[in-house]
Amino acid sequence: MSIEDIKVMICDDSVFARKKLKDYLLSVGVKYVFEAADGIEAVRVYKENNPTIVFMDIIMPKKTEIEALTEIFEYDKKAKVVMASSVGTQNHLKDAINAGAYEFLQKPIENNHVMKILTNIIKEG
Amino acid sequence: MYTQFFGNFLLNNKLVSTAQLSEAIELKKSTRLKLGVLAINAGYMTSEQVENVHNMQQRVDKRIGDIAVELGYMTEAQIDELLSAQKTGYLLLGQALVDKGYMTNAQFEAAIKDYKARYKMSDSDLSNEQTDSMKALINEFYHFDTAENAGVLIEYVTLLFKNIVRFIGDDFTPLEAAIVSNFQCSNLVSQIITGAYSAMTAFEANNAAFTGFASRFAAEEMTSDDDFTNATVSEFLNLHNGLFTVNMSNENETELELTPQVFEKDTIFTFEGSAFCIPLVFPFGTVNFIIGSN
Repeated sequence: MSIEDIKVMICDDSVFARKKLKDYLLSVGVKYVFEAADGIEAVRVYKENNPTIVFMDIIMPKKTEIEALTEIFEYDKKAKVVMASSVGTQNHLKDAINAGAYEFLQKPIENNHVMKILTNIIKEG
Repeated sequence: MYTQFFGNFLLNNKLVSTAQLSEAIELKKSTRLKLGVLAINAGYMTSEQVENVHNMQQRVDKRIGDIAVELGYMTEAQIDELLSAQKTGYLLLGQALVDKGYMTNAQFEAAIKDYKARYKMSDSDLSNEQTDSMKALINEFYHFDTAENAGVLIEYVTLLFKNIVRFIGDDFTPLEAAIVSNFQCSNLVSQIITGAYSAMTAFEANNAAFTGFASRFAAEEMTSDDDFTNATVSEFLNLHNGLFTVNMSNENETELELTPQVFEKDTIFTFEGSAFCIPLVFPFGTVNFIIGSN
């Protein structure tokens, strides 16, 4: 798999946070970026596009990230969801890991962390 | 970091008036640091030596630095070091006050020495070892010790200033906190922290300052107060509160939650109890930070 093949979905209620991450992804050669602004949209957009990797913030309106994560896993057991959260408290970390998160990032998201995750995905194929 | 408080320090010690300080903050933008202030700050020249150099310069046509070297006050290497060092905000503030004649070089020298000695300032302002003295400084300026949950409030505001320096810039002067129970807002972003400690937190600013603040955080120029601007300021508040909850979770085993942020325009923000309002004066305008019991 190469970087052009990776399909990334960004779930964040902040249009600013989505834009920052999207700008970075496009700048490094990612071709497919999908966005969702809340938990319900996240599940719908996931089912429509089957992304390779998901970056998900933790406080999202309408459906909590853990509910969204659980629903995504019900649909796709192999989903790779990175919790990119502003609230990386121990409880949230535990919940996210228990729910099957691929990785946990504390905001502000640093570009080199995102790149590391993309590199791993490319390696894993 | 503590450099932001130099302005408050001068005010609290009645070394300048509020009007003089505001004027100097405004002038910072167009102020150029001169060798004298830099040398006094670094401890390379005393204010008396700086005066000597200035007096001599009026008689001979030479640069300040050359005269200082000739008189044996400084070496070339020290001058190079001073001129290439990063220019910090409090020095610009000091320079503006000296330029306006609100302080003499000698008064500036005494104030900067006293300030550094009291708050054990060093160049590595943001290092962790200094967090304790920073907390003391913040408490001294804001008198949070009278507030409910004073300890948490000090932690919170200390982190706030660190995050503003980290993500927005260090060119701000925090003014004295006002206690408010309702607040007329032009643009308001608020977020509630819930759990063992609960609080209402918010940023408020007029259009220009709000957009300026957002532009800094986004690292791109924004021209109007649109949805993207609101989302950007909201995200900064969320980011900061998020980092606070992480600290509370890691250091104090206290689990807190955040509610989604709310943006409001032209509204009156009302508190059941009372809240602290801390005005932060940036070159692009004043941003008010408000924290109150929820």
